[in-house]
Amino acid sequence: MTEILTKRECNALSAFKYGVSLYSYTEDLGTVMSLEDAFDHVAGTGSTGIEILGETSIPTYPEPTSAWLDNWFALLDRYQLEPTNMAAWVDTRITIGRNMSAQEGTAQIAQDLRLAHRLGFKFLRPKFGVIDGDLTPDPIWEPAVERNLDLAQQLDIVILPEIHSPTPIRHPVTDAYIAFIERTGTKNFGLMIDTGIFQDRPLNKWGGGETDEIRKGALSFLNGIKVPVEHLVDVIKYVPFIQAKFHHIDETLHDHHIPWDRIVPMLKKLGYAGYLSSEYEGARDPWVSIEQVRRQHALIRKLEAEYDAAHGGNLHA
Amino acid sequence: MLERSHIQSTGFHNIGPVGARTGFEVRIRQPNYRSSRLSLIEGVDLVIDGVEYPAEQSRIRVGDREYTHAEMAEETVARLYVGTFFTVIVPKEGGLAPGVHHVASSIRFRHPYFPPQFQPVFVRDARHATIILP
Repeated sequence: MTEILTKRECNALSAFKYGVSLYSYTEDLGTVMSLEDAFDHVAGTGSTGIEILGETSIPTYPEPTSAWLDNWFALLDRYQLEPTNMAAWVDTRITIGRNMSAQEGTAQIAQDLRLAHRLGFKFLRPKFGVIDGDLTPDPIWEPAVERNLDLAQQLDIVILPEIHSPTPIRHPVTDAYIAFIERTGTKNFGLMIDTGIFQDRPLNKWGGGETDEIRKGALSFLNGIKVPVEHLVDVIKYVPFIQAKFHHIDETLHDHHIPWDRIVPMLKKLGYAGYLSSEYEGARDPWVSIEQVRRQHALIRKLEAEYDAAHGGNLHA
Repeated sequence: MLERSHIQSTGFHNIGPVGARTGFEVRIRQPNYRSSRLSLIEGVDLVIDGVEYPAEQSRIRVGDREYTHAEMAEETVARLYVGTFFTVIVPKEGGLAPGVHHVASSIRFRHPYFPPQFQPVFVRDARHATIILP
């Protein structure tokens, strides 16, 4: 309980909201870590938010059992965490020879919106299948989302595709999402920034499922696409949620790939007050993720405090 | 909970009548970070002691249900969940000899959100595992 009180005090003083995606604990979950263990680790960082992957965390996705739901709400209450984003997938190339229709994509998103709402989430990130190396989403994304805007509004959920390496901010994929927001005038669709786009040094171990073929054939992705943090200015008004992707932070709190010392001041300058939801994607040795996530929270909180101190104290207290 | 390796120690055994084995089974942890529709698994290839057992000749058991390679490719509803395993059922007259074998697996995962040149990706594992009963 002491830790929970401390956590509340911390967040009263900060502009960012801190959370953790259970993606961080990939490979540990299901082998050496239970869902309740994960809640304990997330709460132990001082976070207020927890992000899940629907089909990963719910053992009978898309239909949780009543026992699972009871446990879910009990854990949220016990660890004083709020559901933030639920990650979902629109598996467009659903069989080798057939792509999903727009109707099927619509049904997939509707199903996940209802599930996310049932569990208390405010954001849904559908990951669409792509048609090229620039990660251009399958064209069904647009009708599938548009047909769900009324439902998303009813359920008070914002649908967020992610801007994820190797797709930068200034790119036709991002432009198409923004054009959609402007055309429809919707408040229920926005952009999720994955901080992996700012990676500016090469990865020596990618925890997202590295294979020999990816190591040889995806060099730009593994080396980092180095999006300038200044490009956030272009899109920040569409960004209510950020996945704080990272791969390795050493014992001096130095991140080897992601330039937090430039990202944090830029987000502060732009007045970002949403979640930074940790997405650890480094070495997948057992339990390494727990300590890595804690280091990231220590690092970002330190940079945020330094920014506040340099700009007339804490403006958000 | 399951072993960290994809290939599990338990579940590696011969099948069929004693003295007239018809094949063997290998239990594999679902190693992806999210559950997977069966149609997104394009096959599971095995190599035991250097001998290849291609996916197209095997069957896969998920829970109580068995699928041929062709049936897997069309199964878009049933899923392999994180924290669970599936079993590869391999026909082989006489089965495998008792003792320690070198077992390698390669799962052909199709991630629709990966660039087309990485569909599928090959998720590999290899280890020693033991057959106890002839």
